[in-house]
Amino acid sequence: MCLSTVYKNKLTPEAVMMKNVMRIECRDGVVILTDLMERQMAVEGTLEMANLVDGVAVVKEAAV
Amino acid sequence: MHVDHDHTGVPHEHHEHPHEHAHTHEHTHDGVTHTHEHVHEHTHDHEHPHTHDHIHADGTEHNHSHGCAGECGSCQTQCEHTPREELMALMKYMVGHNAAHAKELADLAAKLDQTGDHTAYEQVMAAVSDFEKGNMRLSVVLTSMEHE
Repeated sequence: MCLSTVYKNKLTPEAVMMKNVMRIECRDGVVILTDLMERQMAVEGTLEMANLVDGVAVVKEAAV
Repeated sequence: MHVDHDHTGVPHEHHEHPHEHAHTHEHTHDGVTHTHEHVHEHTHDHEHPHTHDHIHADGTEHNHSHGCAGECGSCQTQCEHTPREELMALMKYMVGHNAAHAKELADLAAKLDQTGDHTAYEQVMAAVSDFEKGNMRLSVVLTSMEHE
């Protein structure tokens, strides 16, 4: 129920994709993130990990 | 025309041209909901109908269907949010979130009491009370910010 920070590929500060994420949807190979202000970001890939206690998630970007 | 997947907005094809379209907003103010339409010209580079909801700093929500990329930053309407509005929205969320946690802790305390540990129950409930006082402070600050 807490907001999360979502990272791309690795859990490092420079890999932050979006903060204050309230919703993560995975549809047809695309991960769609929505933050508290309803801004959306979509990336082709999969949800690799979500730690709901620490409020972090990692999206693995699909290889191009 | 190309497919772009890695930007704000859901995946979609888009193309570039100035365009104009009707824009429907549904707003809730003080419990009263109304809808209105207006038309304005967009110059950003795509047109796909979609609907998305917004939570504004004052806690009101509305959704609207229009042809932007789902990217609030690209929209020249009131959908843009200032840093202060974002901070207030975050604070409002946290006040509500803290209240939910306080309730969870109170439930936990009640279960401790049911196990026969009344001392632990009383201590946790005292902590809940302190927690709620702190949250009340935050709520008061938020209210004063909303009225500035």
